[in-house]
Amino acid sequence: MLSPPLPLQSGLSIEFVSGLVDVTVAASTVLILAALGEIVAQKAGVLNLGLEGMMLFGALSGFVAATATGNLYLGFGAAILVGMAVAGLHAFLCISLKSDQVISGLMITLLGIAVTTYFGSSRNGEAIDGANEVMVPLVGEYLVQVPIIGEAFFRAAPTDYLALLLVPTVWYFLYRTNLGLELTAVGEDPATADTVGVPVFKLRYAATLFGGALAGLAGAHLSLVFSELWVNNIVAGRGWIAVALVLVARWRPFRALLIAFVFAGLDAFQVQSQGLDLGSGPVLSFLMDPTVMLMYPYLATILILWLASRGEVRERLGGPAALTQPYIREE
Amino acid sequence: MSQQDMDVDVELTPRQQVPTVLAVGAQVFTVVAALAVGAVALWAIDVNPLVAYDRMLIDTVSTPFQLTRTLNRAAPLILAGLAVYLPLKAGIENIGAEGQIYLGGIVAVWVALNANIPGALLLPAIFVAGFAGGAVWAVVPAYMAAKWEVNEILTTLMLVFVAIQVNEFLINGPMQGGIGAYPRSDQIPDAAVLLEFAGTDVNIGILLAVAATVFVYLLLNVTRTGYEFVLLGSNPDAARQAGVNAFRKSLLILPLGAAFAGLAGMVEIAGNQGQLGSHWSPGYGWTAIPIALLGRRGAFQTMLAGLFFAVLFVGGSSLGVSMGIPAAISDVIEALVILFLIAAEFIRSYRIDVKVDGESVGSSIRQLFATGGGA
Repeated sequence: MLSPPLPLQSGLSIEFVSGLVDVTVAASTVLILAALGEIVAQKAGVLNLGLEGMMLFGALSGFVAATATGNLYLGFGAAILVGMAVAGLHAFLCISLKSDQVISGLMITLLGIAVTTYFGSSRNGEAIDGANEVMVPLVGEYLVQVPIIGEAFFRAAPTDYLALLLVPTVWYFLYRTNLGLELTAVGEDPATADTVGVPVFKLRYAATLFGGALAGLAGAHLSLVFSELWVNNIVAGRGWIAVALVLVARWRPFRALLIAFVFAGLDAFQVQSQGLDLGSGPVLSFLMDPTVMLMYPYLATILILWLASRGEVRERLGGPAALTQPYIREE
Repeated sequence: MSQQDMDVDVELTPRQQVPTVLAVGAQVFTVVAALAVGAVALWAIDVNPLVAYDRMLIDTVSTPFQLTRTLNRAAPLILAGLAVYLPLKAGIENIGAEGQIYLGGIVAVWVALNANIPGALLLPAIFVAGFAGGAVWAVVPAYMAAKWEVNEILTTLMLVFVAIQVNEFLINGPMQGGIGAYPRSDQIPDAAVLLEFAGTDVNIGILLAVAATVFVYLLLNVTRTGYEFVLLGSNPDAARQAGVNAFRKSLLILPLGAAFAGLAGMVEIAGNQGQLGSHWSPGYGWTAIPIALLGRRGAFQTMLAGLFFAVLFVGGSSLGVSMGIPAAISDVIEALVILFLIAAEFIRSYRIDVKVDGESVGSSIRQLFATGGGA
């Protein structure tokens, strides 16, 4: 269809776009943190479907610790410790007791929803003066001026920067260090890794605990930075989105970052674009319907799972071969 | 013996045979342990656990009003439990019952509101609609699993969240009712509401649930198809050698199980709620998983487990009303039940032997008793 290049449509101005990017980047942090932890755990062969629950534990414990002490850092610390404790339970059940990882993960999620609702109901809706956005030191003032992405990337909360820094860190660890390669080996073929002296159980425990620490941090970021309040069920399905994200990104940290922006962008767009007339037909307006757009992460996951199971692309998309399989040592 | 040279080792041997005491004891241990830890949560908010449990577990089955609520909740829970239990028997894990419940409810409401069906035939029609709606939602995961070995756990799980959004889309759009401040569908006509037993408020949902339990029991224990399902689940290699068509079987059993979840959705709407609202399922599909695990030994055990969780559910909500305890206590206990189920499963399947310096503690103790303590 040929038509003269349109100016940005009504409402779709530079302000709208840079606002959208700002909201997207802010909303992606929680997904990035949770997904990076999940990537490391899954690379070691432990599937954690308890993300949603662990994030809730982190969100509430971080909120309670921060309001009790008046110190946000203690809040984050408490959330990380609680996330690790809950992950420790999952690790004990799956690694030591050889339980079904799927059932255990679902249990952790149900437990997280139940316990945080039970103990959090009395504080439902309570607000906190959370972390402020800060500019990148020295050059921040100039970078914030950059159109569209300036405000989003160069004036953000500390946890936003941390999440962005963790992406190359986790990538480097997994692909460029001995320990990272050993961890990958444990997720691919624990028996062989064991015979060459790689501590299978220790690595699986460590990877699962790391995942729990980041899930707790992601939860605390939600209650202390992103929303600055506690409400029951504050995670609201983001844990499941993070699980979907890991599968779609096929355990690659940088791809996870990109897909986190896409998923968070979908979410931000459907909130911000209400009432925005994009002049579309019935099909497009169905596809752009806010309730329909929220299905995309899950549909994308099913599509990728299907693609990954087809022989010709299995090489590129295959995952840890021993994922969900407990390792039982043959004496 | 000094501390340094003591070599403690834990040895696990898979059990060949599970003693009956352990098999049955595991379920009892599970529930008791969950209630014990739940008591700590009650005590933490200064509630006497005994008083709370008395109200939660005894009152719910001893007063007519509460018993009515329990039975009306038990119906969808038992049906949802069967939706997980049946495929599990063939080694297929259906984690997506929650989504299948939504679809069953949606299709049933659509038929009740839009199909021109005379009154007397409307109930059978929405029964079929619920059954079909649940089944359809599992067709894609079943086909993908059978043909390409795409993990059905993840696909059924992801479709739960899609189903919730389908429901949101419909009540905000094509199926939105005329009145009310927030989005919901119209009320279903009276002819589509489940009948109630004379003189009570108990609807026939529980009858459906019992009938479904009997059906599943007969299917698995009497028919050849059921025998092949169980063989596929317990010994896939033997099933292949016996000429069982694994592809066709797994294509059949997941949608068949999901159909029961669809029925659960129909029963919940036509028996308890009367219309579609936002997030209308109270999580039956998630509770279905511990129900199926607790009841894994048979269809009737699954039914009893469904009843138990209905008691928990109703008891929890009445605690919230009468004692000001967060109703989430029933969810806490539910999650703990799964936790202890997992732990009990381990004790059931492994013989644990602690060895000190290569000497088995267990057999040393047995020797002590056998020789009357003498050396």
